[in-house]
Amino acid sequence: MKYALEIKGVTKEFDGGKGKFTALDNLSFSIEQGKIHGLLGPNGAGKSTLISLITGMQRPTSGSLFVFGVDVVKDPQAAKKLIGIVPQELVIEAAFTVYEVLYYFAGMNGVPVQNRKQKIEEVLASLDLLDKINERARSLSGGMKRRLMVAKAMLHDPKLLILDEPTAGVDVSLRQKMWEVVRTLHEKGTSVLFTTHYLEEAEQLCETVTVINKGKVIKDGNLKDLQREFSKELISFELYKPDVAHAAGVYKEGNEFHVVYKDLADDMRTLIAHYGDNIKTIKSGAASLESIFLTLTK
Amino acid sequence: MMQYSWALYAREVKRFQKILLDTLLSPIVSLLLYLSVFGVILGNSFVFGIPYVSYVYVGLLTMSLVNASFSNPAFALVIGKNLGTNVDLQVVPLRPFGIAFAYAFAAATRGMLTLVVAVLITVWFVPSITILNPLLLIVTLVMTGLLFGCLGVIFGAYAKNFEALTFVTSFVLQPMIFLAGTFYPISSLPGFWQTVAAWNPVHHVMNAVRYSVFGISDSNVFVSYGVLVGLLGIVLVLSHVFTKKFLYR
Repeated sequence: MKYALEIKGVTKEFDGGKGKFTALDNLSFSIEQGKIHGLLGPNGAGKSTLISLITGMQRPTSGSLFVFGVDVVKDPQAAKKLIGIVPQELVIEAAFTVYEVLYYFAGMNGVPVQNRKQKIEEVLASLDLLDKINERARSLSGGMKRRLMVAKAMLHDPKLLILDEPTAGVDVSLRQKMWEVVRTLHEKGTSVLFTTHYLEEAEQLCETVTVINKGKVIKDGNLKDLQREFSKELISFELYKPDVAHAAGVYKEGNEFHVVYKDLADDMRTLIAHYGDNIKTIKSGAASLESIFLTLTK
Repeated sequence: MMQYSWALYAREVKRFQKILLDTLLSPIVSLLLYLSVFGVILGNSFVFGIPYVSYVYVGLLTMSLVNASFSNPAFALVIGKNLGTNVDLQVVPLRPFGIAFAYAFAAATRGMLTLVVAVLITVWFVPSITILNPLLLIVTLVMTGLLFGCLGVIFGAYAKNFEALTFVTSFVLQPMIFLAGTFYPISSLPGFWQTVAAWNPVHHVMNAVRYSVFGISDSNVFVSYGVLVGLLGIVLVLSHVFTKKFLYR
């Protein structure tokens, strides 16, 4: 089995007040086993909908999804055994202690009673949460709750770990800790799919990415290839007076403007002709993932 | 898969143990209040040759079982919807019936625990009762707990908020309990209300419980057991269907 995840022609429609809304439109991509894969896209692109389909929380309108060859639609229970999910929202059973939250959730994922205590301690230690084992889950800070969510997903040693915006709202040191955990799991052979708004995070962690927008795959592949492809085609420039009519295809990112070019010399001449002495600096350089993302999703 | 459901069952039992005082205090206080009121007003009267206080006591205990069994899963599921914690039910490899039955059995456990503790505390205030058929009584009570546990799962899965659930509890369940012969034999009701009561499933639960305790019945006991068994089968299936439809989205 080559793929940890295969998504084939998946469409998901919802019945809304104004008729049918297509959240995912004939979407296809796959993740090779043992990879860390980033699922990127702007808000409303369909990332969370896709995750809910992969985890069997919803059914696709059409198409099929396979986790390590197991059909998620036909046998969701078998697929769920292979998946660990860290949802985007911080949802914790408020009445229970950290240990109780993990103990019952481990049981619901099939971890035998005799192994649970050891497994819980092991997972909590890896997330620096062992000292909180007997504390009420609701008394934990936001960052600790986030780690507890990760601990829940790790209890049954999933082969595919899905993290939906795992570092949203957490501080820099915790984010680094999360990355360390993801890397450690990756070293042990776990395949990882995560969504993030922090593109720096995707650059740090991912080997492969899929960029989706409006329910469709717009780019899919090796991150380095993607960067290489786009870095060849980007002119970046700064202006003294940025509030002017811009040339076709120009977009802003921070203080810089970028344009994807076909011919470097011709397009440079066009830009200089358009902006004249308003140009402060101009260069062609390596595109950041952020600029690739903006180019692809604009 | 039994092991997965067992963990969910244990979690739900643990949940009501966390609020044990709320779980037990409220029904026991209600029971004592009802007993003191009915004991003072009708303490010297008899129903089917049985002291009224004993008669109503069994009805009140059954009412506690019904209320506790219904509210446990119903409120747990609606709270889970509001807090978002029901996502745990969607991502674990449990089938809908595994989820529904775990909640229903936890509900029956809470109902039985409430009933046992209520008896231990209040039995000293009523004339002694000799249970005619203890085994039949236990089977009847467990079936009742499961029946209303499943109904709690059905309404908990369906209800979007607490208002909907409170509406069902206040305007459907409580009137059914009061029209079930909890406090009086339905034969003492006017003709129309007797017919209504005869169609009320809670009446058949009351009738079956009283039959197993006293050997008396307000209406045909075979019909009552038939209704209890039949309804239990229906709600077991429906609890699976509602869990699949409303908790799996």
